[in-house]
Amino acid sequence: MLLPATLEEAVTALDKESTEPANEQKTRILAGGQDLLPELKDHLAEPETVVNVKGVAELGTDVRRSGDGFEIGALATIAALARNADVPAVLSEAAASIASPQVRTLATVAGNLCQRPRCWYYRSEHTVCLKKGGDECFAYAGLNKYNAILGGGPSYIVHPSDLAPALVALDAEVVTDRRTIAIGDFFTLPSESDPTRENVLGPDEIIREVAFTVAPGWRSVYVKFKERESFDFALSAVALALRLDGDEIAEARLVLGGVAPTPWRCRSTEELLRGRKIDDALAHEAGEDALGGAEPLEFNGYKIPLTKALIAKALRKLS
Amino acid sequence: MSVQSGPQWKARSEMKVLNTDVPRVDGPAKVSGRAKYAHDIRLPGMLHARLLLCPHPAADVELLNVEPAKRIAGVVTAAELADRPDRTIFLGQPLAVVAAETPEAAEDGLRAIEVRYREGGWAVTPEQAAAEDAPRISRRQPNALTERETGNQGRTERALEGADATIDETYVVPVQHHCCLETHGMVVDFDGERARVWPSTQAVTGSRGEVAQALGIPADRVEIVCDYMGGGFGSKFSIGPEGLAACQLATELRRPIHLMLTRTDEFLMGGNRSGGRQRMRAGASLDGKLVALDAEVWRHGGIGRGSNPGQPYIYKAETDSMRIGSVRTNTDANRAMRAPGHPQASFAIESAMDELAYAIGMDPLDFRMRNLEDPVYHRQLNRVADEIGWYDHPNRETPGIPTGGTNVGIGFGVSTWGGGGRRVCVVTVRIDPDGSVTSSAGSQDLGTGVRTYVGSIVAEELGLAVSQVTGRVGHSEYGPANASGGSTTTASLAPAVKDAAHNARVAFSERLAEWLECGPGDVVFANGEVRSGTNERMKLTWSEACSILGSDPIVATGEWQSHLQTSGIHGAQAVKVEVDTETGGLRLVKMVCIQDCGLPLNRMALRSQINGGMIEAIGYGLFEERIIDPWLGVALNANFDDYKLPGSTEMPELVAIIDDDDERQQVIGMAEATIIPGQSAIANAVANACGVRIRSLPLTADKVLMGIQEKA
Amino acid sequence: MSDSRHSRRAFLKGAGGVAAGGIVGPSALASSATESTTRAPKRLAGELDVELSINGAKQKVRCQPRTTLLNALRNHCDPPLTGTKLVCDHGSCGACTVLVDDEPACSCLLLAVDARGKEVRTVEGLANEDELSPVQAAFVEHDALMCGFCTPGFVMSITACLEKNPGASLPEIKSACAGNTCRCGTYPHIFDAAVAAGGRMRKGGSK
Repeated sequence: MLLPATLEEAVTALDKESTEPANEQKTRILAGGQDLLPELKDHLAEPETVVNVKGVAELGTDVRRSGDGFEIGALATIAALARNADVPAVLSEAAASIASPQVRTLATVAGNLCQRPRCWYYRSEHTVCLKKGGDECFAYAGLNKYNAILGGGPSYIVHPSDLAPALVALDAEVVTDRRTIAIGDFFTLPSESDPTRENVLGPDEIIREVAFTVAPGWRSVYVKFKERESFDFALSAVALALRLDGDEIAEARLVLGGVAPTPWRCRSTEELLRGRKIDDALAHEAGEDALGGAEPLEFNGYKIPLTKALIAKALRKLS
Repeated sequence: MSVQSGPQWKARSEMKVLNTDVPRVDGPAKVSGRAKYAHDIRLPGMLHARLLLCPHPAADVELLNVEPAKRIAGVVTAAELADRPDRTIFLGQPLAVVAAETPEAAEDGLRAIEVRYREGGWAVTPEQAAAEDAPRISRRQPNALTERETGNQGRTERALEGADATIDETYVVPVQHHCCLETHGMVVDFDGERARVWPSTQAVTGSRGEVAQALGIPADRVEIVCDYMGGGFGSKFSIGPEGLAACQLATELRRPIHLMLTRTDEFLMGGNRSGGRQRMRAGASLDGKLVALDAEVWRHGGIGRGSNPGQPYIYKAETDSMRIGSVRTNTDANRAMRAPGHPQASFAIESAMDELAYAIGMDPLDFRMRNLEDPVYHRQLNRVADEIGWYDHPNRETPGIPTGGTNVGIGFGVSTWGGGGRRVCVVTVRIDPDGSVTSSAGSQDLGTGVRTYVGSIVAEELGLAVSQVTGRVGHSEYGPANASGGSTTTASLAPAVKDAAHNARVAFSERLAEWLECGPGDVVFANGEVRSGTNERMKLTWSEACSILGSDPIVATGEWQSHLQTSGIHGAQAVKVEVDTETGGLRLVKMVCIQDCGLPLNRMALRSQINGGMIEAIGYGLFEERIIDPWLGVALNANFDDYKLPGSTEMPELVAIIDDDDERQQVIGMAEATIIPGQSAIANAVANACGVRIRSLPLTADKVLMGIQEKA
Repeated sequence: MSDSRHSRRAFLKGAGGVAAGGIVGPSALASSATESTTRAPKRLAGELDVELSINGAKQKVRCQPRTTLLNALRNHCDPPLTGTKLVCDHGSCGACTVLVDDEPACSCLLLAVDARGKEVRTVEGLANEDELSPVQAAFVEHDALMCGFCTPGFVMSITACLEKNPGASLPEIKSACAGNTCRCGTYPHIFDAAVAAGGRMRKGGSK
């Protein structure tokens, strides 16, 4: 285990070679550890070196107001975000919905964005699935109740992060040691890049902070459906941010969680919402449009009506 | 009441301790972390052991080489299990064991074992096992075997034809896990001559013999200690392969061995409640009689037989017939789990009863009453119906239809159990000259409150406070006791405690009579004093009375007394649920259970047991299901992330009612009964709310939502 | 099983050859590789003496970089602190809950080396001599425990909640222990105990 004190030391300590697949990287970053430690215990990740970034000076732990927006340090805890009354509701609600109080104490914002999939084929020590460098996504024709209905193929994982859709709805940026990435460009579809990875970070790249601006007049909400309310990932979730002009929607950002390998932004639905008043008819249309391209697998067709319902609930909450 | 007349429970009105709320005596140890479970035993030189489990449902073990493990730093030994097979027959079958100085080193050692399997020739689902070309799982019998037939099927067929309404539905229950928070295992300290063993067990007495056999020494050289244990629910009667492995290591190394299963091991080899499939063809007359029931019952118990008491369960059909059998798969054998077989049977019959009631347009509560002979159920159902608000509920004869918003529904179920005891326990009560009183039994406290009543029964007898009597359990030296299973503990043990207390009191009375200037039969024990029943002024404080004993303490033993216990209990439950008809999400609003149990020993502990039964049924109803990929043969949810147990925010308002209309003055065990009908009542409540009948557990949102979609 | 919807059986680990030998996984946290160079970050490897502050007392604990705080408490402290329970080892059940700088955390998901410089409180540290804390006493009075294996974790979660807000409402109490699992089904009595303890702490004004 390495304990770098600076970002430069940390970057240097990480393996620069982009090895394949991701879970076979020689080095892994340890921040809150709420996902990495279980991965190590289950032998899903078997790095030679763990780079413990808890002591890296440049990695902040604050949720900070900055100008007309917020800067959230990579090591800010989910608990801190959940109890922050200033950040947009979609973000604090998403944070509060994550895992358990114990996990939220230690889990970090950057770790939440970079956590690995929850698909039970991926999490089994005994399978070598597509995500782990194998040739097949076992979920595709397997027990896929929890898998993707949108954007799937060749891997059908769903992105497990709750912060991710919320931050996409806030049009946030991810700031790393070397660049600033629009969050919409941060997550990757398995069909468009290395299917063993879920984002564009290089193997030696470290998130410094997440930032976003808050323009006046926006309101937002996070609606998450869990199979087990007390402690669960999303079966489906909706992050919705709206700018209302009177009772008309002037601008909208609608992002789905738990249904696709990335947070799933519904741009055509956002267009559809623009200039409309929130009512049952609009809620129905929005759901139909957002899920229009869904391609359910054998056991996850329920996610279509479920997600439509969550979109309707989200719109009603902001009406 | 004369002390010479043999032990009798006091009238409830005279009781000061029993039938009241008694905080359990081991509470302070448990809340402060002082209670030592098998997991917590730490001995000088102790090694940590881990098992290697086969990850395939069945495989030829082509290579198993433990030598590389022995070369790992900190590993002391690695060994194949003494009886390890060349071909495994269930997913998670243990093959080898590693012992190391630390848990981390044991893990490293386990990973270093070289093993090569040729997997194949297996079946993990009943469908696979029942297929014509399925590999044979047991040499002795076919994979699917009908074992018993009852009734006259031809007659039932005719009765079905004559029924006013019929149903023909199949109800499926998954494999559920016990999920004891303390996994199986033990610590064994063996010096070659004698052994002291700390198993996590429901059977202190039985463990002694098993350990003795495993170590090859006489049982009187084995001491079993189980002061506390972290849940058993029926899965911890035997020391199991993990206990045998610990004994094997202890024999080889002569160092204390700590072998507790990991959570994943526990899921794979720690037992389960069998699943099953029940086809119910039932008919009713318009006046609400269950005129015919034909049931085809299949139990799914892995390499075990599974359990199900058969149909019709509790309800009376005018004509019935049944075929019952089991389908075997290459998965861990089922074990007893709190009310073995009954929740499975309950789910099928209670669902079928509801479906029939709605088919004839009758209130399902009325329909139940008409087909339950025992008046106790009528009384109990009325009570829970009242408590849950059934009589003000709109959907009484017809289920609701999905509104697009929240629908509210109510469902019911009933339960039965034996709960009687038998002659095993010998209990010792000792009164010392310094005033201390101990009551010792070689039983075990699974969390039911046994330790507390082992003392409190004596306190009641001697007119003392609970804190003045030390109840001791969990040690093989305290005398023989039965295993704690089938709710038999209370009815087997409490009468023996009562008998010992009575004998101690008689013996003490004889010693005190002279001092109190009365006959032994006139000595009264009450309020921490001992007095003459004929002369109020003749009395002694408890410590004065005990000091009279000089150097000769009272030591009395007690045995089971049949007349102090009985069997046969009843329960009824009702659930109110909210269905979000947009999402299929369920929210339990309220759950009520009434349970009879003869004479209550500790009302607070009883309410805990009743709540516990309801809550385990909530898990079974809403979430719990073992998942094995049928094509890969890989366990997919052998962990607490994906095998979901109910948590704090799933809890409805829970109302636990002790049925005080049951005036039997005998004790009866009751814990099993409370777990039986909850999931059935939940399923019925969902159907009542929105007309969606889910015939397979658990009632997850995806099933409910798809059901709603189909109706729309 | 003869169903051939997948070609995937060939991709089962260990199905076709000798399973990976040697040390993997957590050993990465303990690798004793190259010497440190002047510019390189601090490296932890092998056996270490980790100074922890547990229940107000400093203690040097001999363990490895990969050793979890839970494992350090239960197996490497002297005397072992076994009140904190190992149940799932994945942060899913809360039985290993401790307070780290007064916040609840799963000690199975925190490395001992990362607990340095923090104040760790375990269930053993709550009672004052033989006097139970208000939360502990309320658990006993309300029968908020059965087998007792989950109890220390629940006690810690409720303690963390009530120390911040003794007036916590029932929904807040339920949320505070949403990461704790009880298999015996003690929840309603735990809620009763927590409400009662909160009342007592409000009156007493003490922890």
